[in-house]
This record gives sequence, C-alpha cells and structure tokens, in this order.
Amino acid sequence: MPPSGFIRSALLGPAVAATLGLIGFANLSFAAAIVGEMRRTDPSPKAAVAINAMKPEYRRPPSIPFPKENPYTPEKASLGKKLYFDTRISVTSAQSCASCHSPGFGWGDGLAVGVGHGMAKLGRHSPTIVNAAWGAIFMWDGRLANLEEQALGPIQSPGEMNMPIEKLMERLATIAEYKPLFVTAFPGTGLSPNTLAQAISTYERTVVSEQAPFDLWIEGNEQVISDEAKRGFVIFNTKAQCSSCHEGWNFTNDGFQDIGLPSADVGRGQFLPDIIKMKHAFKTPGLREIARRGPYMHDGSIATLEQVVEHYDHGGVDRPSRSDLVKPLGLTAQEKSELVAFLKTLTSNLDPTTVPVLPR
Amino acid sequence: MRKLTSLSFVVLVGLSAGALAANLTITQKGRVFSVESVIIKKGEALTFANDDSVPHNIISTSKGNEFNLGSQPPGAATDVTFKEAGEAQIVCAIHPRMRMTVKITD
Repeated sequence: MPPSGFIRSALLGPAVAATLGLIGFANLSFAAAIVGEMRRTDPSPKAAVAINAMKPEYRRPPSIPFPKENPYTPEKASLGKKLYFDTRISVTSAQSCASCHSPGFGWGDGLAVGVGHGMAKLGRHSPTIVNAAWGAIFMWDGRLANLEEQALGPIQSPGEMNMPIEKLMERLATIAEYKPLFVTAFPGTGLSPNTLAQAISTYERTVVSEQAPFDLWIEGNEQVISDEAKRGFVIFNTKAQCSSCHEGWNFTNDGFQDIGLPSADVGRGQFLPDIIKMKHAFKTPGLREIARRGPYMHDGSIATLEQVVEHYDHGGVDRPSRSDLVKPLGLTAQEKSELVAFLKTLTSNLDPTTVPVLPR
Repeated sequence: MRKLTSLSFVVLVGLSAGALAANLTITQKGRVFSVESVIIKKGEALTFANDDSVPHNIISTSKGNEFNLGSQPPGAATDVTFKEAGEAQIVCAIHPRMRMTVKITD
C-alpha cells in the first residue's frame, strides 16, 4: 500500500492532517514552547500481578461500537457487504475489497505483501479487517483517521484499485439494482462517495472475531486452554512485555512502534519526520485470529509465529528509532513455546462467510 | 473523571526538586492524559509526568507552542512553558488515543 497514491489525492490530503490532529504537522519544527530538562520522579516499584488480576482487562466488549456519524442499520451493512465483495469498484473490475481482505485468510490475503493494480506487488502486508470497529487510526502508517476514510483509500489509490471516485459513481449508477439499495440505506441521499464509504465501513465493523478458547478461559473455564498456554499468557504480560502494546481484548492499543525490522520503510516517520521514535514505526496490529494471518509484520517478512517470537527475543535492529520496549528478552525455549501456545488460543471458530449475490 | 482544569485553582502537585512551584502536573497512566483540557496563562508551565508503565512521546505542533518531549520513560517528568496565547493540541506520537488541549490566555 504505497502512500504516494494517497498523497496525490486531494480527497485524502486533509485526512492525513486530521489523523495527526494538526495542520501542517510534518513541516513544523519544535522550538516555540520552552522545554525543561527531563528529570526522574518517584517511580513506585511495580508489584507482581497475579494471573487472575490480569484477566479482566481482556474481557470481550458487549457490543460493536458504531460512530454516531454513521450508525448501524441492517440496510447499510447489507449494501456494504455487496460493495465489499464487488470487483466492479476497481478500475479493472478485477479486484474487490475481499481480494486483499478475504474471510478465507483471516480477512487478509495470506501473502507477504498485497497485490494491487496490474498485479503489481505493494509495499506492505495487507492487514486484517477483523475488529476494525475498535480501531483508533487506520493504515500501517496511520495516515487515515477513520474507517470511512479507509474504505475510500484503496479504491482510489493508483497502486491498488486505481478507481477515480467520479468514475466509480458513474459505474455504480449504471448498475440498476444498486440504486434502490442506496435509496433504502440512505433515504434522501442515495449514491455518493460518502454513502459508499459509510456502507462499506458499516459492513466492515460487523466483521468481529468470534469467541475463542481464550475468551472462555477468561470467563472462568479452566479446562479449555492448556497449562502451557496459560503460562504463555503470563509471559506475554510480564517478561516478554508483549501486552505493553498488544493490550486489551483486541490485543492492540493502536500505537506506533519501531520493532527493529530491517526494512527501509519509514512508516509513520513519513508524517512525523522530526520525531525519531516514529521512523520505521508502524501501527501495532491486534492479535485476534493471529494463527490464521501469517505471514507477519508490516512487510510480511516473518513466516511463522515461532519466528515472530524469535524476532522479539532477539530485539531486532538496535537503532535510535527502535522502541524502548523492544530489546533482547532472554526467553527460554520453553517460554517461547508457551507464548506461541497462548497466541493460538486467540483463534475462534469463525462462521463461514457467505458471498453475496451482487446487483446487476 | 477527566475535566477542564484551570491552573488558578490548582494546588501544587509536589515533584522532585526543580519543578516550578505552581505547575499543574499532567499524568499519563493507562495511556490517558489526566485531563482533557486545561487553561493556563501565557508564560506558565505544565509538567508532563509519565506515571505510566510504558514510554510516551508527548508533542504539540500548534503554532507558537510547538514542542517535542522525545521518548519519556516511566518515572520521568518534564516542564513545558507555553509562550503564545491560543490553543495548543497535545498528543502522544506513540499512542494516538492520547489527546488533550491546552488553552493559553494572555
């Protein structure tokens, strides 16, 4: 997903600034306020936390959050599903959202990096859309503020679906059966770039990981996961510090970290060039369904979960931008195995996804 | 409950030697700023104290009050003096959910 296509997009330019919360962010130097010297305060020693005390932070939320600007309706979600699976939203009519974010591959594509317009390889791994409803910021480099913006991004990106939004509006208008669906989902508005984005993002928000063995264990069923996996959960939260970034029920705080991968891609650093910790930093992905989602990392450079754990144990490339949380861990072979066993408990029995009949 | 806080009503939060006597301290535990919004006078300082378990990188790019605290480890604190009247948006570059506003009056 090369960012260049987005930078050229007049529609998405302001969105980048919006995600940063500020205008002209990347061009400002940091000199105006007076910053004192950093000093130590009183770091209270961290008490050891018992395993049962860790569990409440991992309870599943009771419902899917939908933004007040785009509340859920079944009509919107149904229309959005048709659009999500419709290849005609790409300029070649060969790619749909599901081409790169397929339910068959944990809502990714199973490839190291995505494949875009003209079958050209993209620069980054296609992220899953599972649990996107809880996302705080979107794309590996955080250049889009919400799921509605994200829905339109790849459609228009020259490297991906390469479809000018005006041309897409014209094409969808020629598909007779779409018109009543838009009218029903968006009374008084009908088809527009905004309603297209709202419909697709509403459907995407309904793609939620099902209850996994881990969830049943969190709720009190001690038999459903192995003792090895339970020990892995403790390591995840303590010695390995995974939960410093992969936190909460969806196992992400949506933060940006350089985890020491030997990649030239500067990631978030493209938008925050003056902040050293943002160079090579990418958004922390959630870990639900992670066993189905390989290969791993923003560049798809690591094939297996075992190798992922090895990477973190080693600490990767030691450079100024590397997260202070990423450093050699000294995990034993048994601890590494336990971590992987734990990660596999996050796989749910996803219901098969039916492919919709598309409007003609 | 996070709330709008005016420095004029804030009693000092004691920190290590060197902290300005009247500084309001903004803490960051749980990847959340302790207040959503604060009002101070031009030339006054806030103390950003990382009482969280992970590093933060607090910044503002609001015109006239730009700053970048860099990677601030747990247990560290830094004072920031705001020079320009107006509104400064404060964020953590690492954690995008962390946002607050500083209103600076003349």
